[in-house]
Amino acid sequence: MAGFISDTAAVFRRELRRISEQPIYAVLTVVLPLVSFAFFAILFEEGVARNIPIAVLDQDHSTLSRKVTQMIDDTPTVMVSFEVQDMPEAERLMREGKIDAVVLIPYDFEKNILSNRQTNLDAYVTGTNITVNGLLAKDIQTAVSTFAAGIQIQLLTKKGLTEKQAMAQLMPVRFVKHILFNPYTNYGYYLSPSFMPMMLLIFTIMTTIFAIGTELKHSTAKEWLDTAGGSVFAALVGKVLPIIIIMFIMSLAMFVIIFNVVGVPLNGSIAMLLFGSLLFIVSYQAIGTFIITILSNMRLALSLGGGYSVLAFTFSGLTFPIMAMYPAMQVFSRFFPFTYYTDLIIDQAMRGTPPAYSIPDLCYMSLFILLPLLCLPHLRTICTEEKYWGKL
Amino acid sequence: MKRLLRQIKSYWQQFLSVAANEYRTIRSDEGVILVLVLALLIYSTLYSFAYAPQVLHNVPIGVIDNSRTPASRNLVNLFNAAPNTYTAYEVSDMKEAEQLFFERKIYGVVYIPENYEELLLQGSQAVVSVYADASYFLVYRQIFQEVVTGINLTGAAVEFERLLAKGTIQPTARATTQPVIYQTHNLFNPYLGYGSFVMPAVIMVIIQQTLLIGIGIIGGTWREFGLYKKLLPTDRKRLSALPVVLAKAAVYASIYAVTTLYILNVHYRLFHYPMNGNPWTVAAFMIPYLAACIFMGIAVSTLFRYRENALLLLLWTSIPILMLSGASFPQQAIPEWLYTFGKIFPSSSGVSAFIRIQSMGASFEEVLPEIRVLWSLAIVYAGLSCIGIHLITKREFRREHGDAEE
Repeated sequence: MAGFISDTAAVFRRELRRISEQPIYAVLTVVLPLVSFAFFAILFEEGVARNIPIAVLDQDHSTLSRKVTQMIDDTPTVMVSFEVQDMPEAERLMREGKIDAVVLIPYDFEKNILSNRQTNLDAYVTGTNITVNGLLAKDIQTAVSTFAAGIQIQLLTKKGLTEKQAMAQLMPVRFVKHILFNPYTNYGYYLSPSFMPMMLLIFTIMTTIFAIGTELKHSTAKEWLDTAGGSVFAALVGKVLPIIIIMFIMSLAMFVIIFNVVGVPLNGSIAMLLFGSLLFIVSYQAIGTFIITILSNMRLALSLGGGYSVLAFTFSGLTFPIMAMYPAMQVFSRFFPFTYYTDLIIDQAMRGTPPAYSIPDLCYMSLFILLPLLCLPHLRTICTEEKYWGKL
Repeated sequence: MKRLLRQIKSYWQQFLSVAANEYRTIRSDEGVILVLVLALLIYSTLYSFAYAPQVLHNVPIGVIDNSRTPASRNLVNLFNAAPNTYTAYEVSDMKEAEQLFFERKIYGVVYIPENYEELLLQGSQAVVSVYADASYFLVYRQIFQEVVTGINLTGAAVEFERLLAKGTIQPTARATTQPVIYQTHNLFNPYLGYGSFVMPAVIMVIIQQTLLIGIGIIGGTWREFGLYKKLLPTDRKRLSALPVVLAKAAVYASIYAVTTLYILNVHYRLFHYPMNGNPWTVAAFMIPYLAACIFMGIAVSTLFRYRENALLLLLWTSIPILMLSGASFPQQAIPEWLYTFGKIFPSSSGVSAFIRIQSMGASFEEVLPEIRVLWSLAIVYAGLSCIGIHLITKREFRREHGDAEE
């Protein structure tokens, strides 16, 4: 045991020297992670979309049609930027990327309303951007409902009802909405706790593959193993330990940015978040180690590891939920530590879930850490046999 | 004249030798093949499979029905019959609902109070509370849409009946209940399929990123093996970098011509993505898009000293670049200066133009501004590529001569 510690320490010292000699390490573990965190903090600074341009085709040109247009324009996300004469013109503006929706107010809009007949109002919203579509559909609908409610109240009060009676009459069932966990439906709250860990995992896996792969590429693997007194386990631990420490500090920086700069609520257990981050980092190091050991070829391992790491976002189910995917894809999504980490962050940062509920996520992430243990003998082989070296 | 012909001939030979060399380098490097050829196919397929169901249906919700009356049953049945939600659990109180929430068994709760039916029959207003989880935006949207529609429908039906009971004639009652019939129509992607929305943008970004990284790896290879001085004539002329740049570009263009054709024809059909674009317009867009990406790739590749650097330094940019294109994240939510900065990437103009051509059916004239930007980027990056290669050969030439003198 004492031997193991001193062997690991020797590799650790060797690794620190290598890290200080090669600037690429600092770039990968400190500079670029911070740059990427800063990027997302700036990207989500506004957090909500405002003034998305739309067009109105007003065939009625009446006081009421102007009023409903004004009400639509007054909503936070919508900006009426164009008044068009016909639908082809609106469609052209849409294809030119100048508007994302058009509202059609038909002839006799006002006349129908005033003579107590039903009238139509149609919104055509582009489906090519679901996020924009959702925002516009919701705000235009809200504006139109408010407009319609105003008319209903007028009609009913004319009949001699008080305003309160009229309200009960026109809206027999009222609903109170409670938006849980992200009350402002802020994109920053929604996306930054997952984009920033994505960056963290990409740099973790790439740095790990590089740190081991470079020993093979420059034929220093034997020297690395010798520093560990021939113990491949000590060699591996001593090598990944400095990266664990740096990346864990980076994850702290990430949390400071997520909670203090972006302002994501922190409702759960910090201890769980920190412990989860540690497991998250180590699990991606384990996967990186596994890939480079099996392939013993840095360029291929980087391509494969890189490809694998970027996939994680889609399969975390944050944007398109896992429950909507095909069963085979649901199974596939389990092979990414990021999936569990996303759940953990949502539970422990936003939802304030009791910590006990997040223990399974931690256990699943821990399973990935066993991967390199399976291939330790092979790691020893590639470190001792020259035929694995020098592959660029 | 003769000199000019000889010059052209020598450039042509240089072009051929660089192109042949480039094919050889790509073929012998599995890492590069993985990035330049397979990545586009694998990613497009995996992502498309992940998004293949396109729409989220049947989100489980919990209902607390304290009323337990025919009226409240009706409301619960509405949520159940709707495509987007189903009542997975009927719970007795909020505490139990919370438990299910934390276990991720439900994503929303509807609370119907005890006096629900009573209030409705009295002619006063009943209040229903809806709790929906906004930590997953798509889930949130489906729950709200369904629950709000259900409640509004119920409300309208009750109001209509009350008016009829008071002796109002049907058309008037209808007009009072719903003076404005409002409808939203979703254009180009009627069911709001997630794959149809996000994949066109993702495919464009993958094309750009794999080109940047793949060309970058090869650029690093050239530096590591000293290929620059081998493939450039020793009597360096000012224009001598141009045939090299063009030869490299032609090789990548030939690869991407094949993979892109596959994606836009076969893959698009397999997954039923919108194909409203005129094929000639698509081609008139893809040519400058690929040119801009390739030349940017060559320009950036001159910065890499080692073959692994491109992957290490560029991979992470994929997600930020996808976000900057404004395709999945609304452009209006991005700080303006950042969005403008993003224009240095072909994807920012490319994603928008491609979606408009292929999903909306825009004509060449309607995307002309973006196509102009793409051609300008192609020219600027081609120039930067020549300068970059020129600088490297100059440095290597000098270093070699310096070494020789020592």
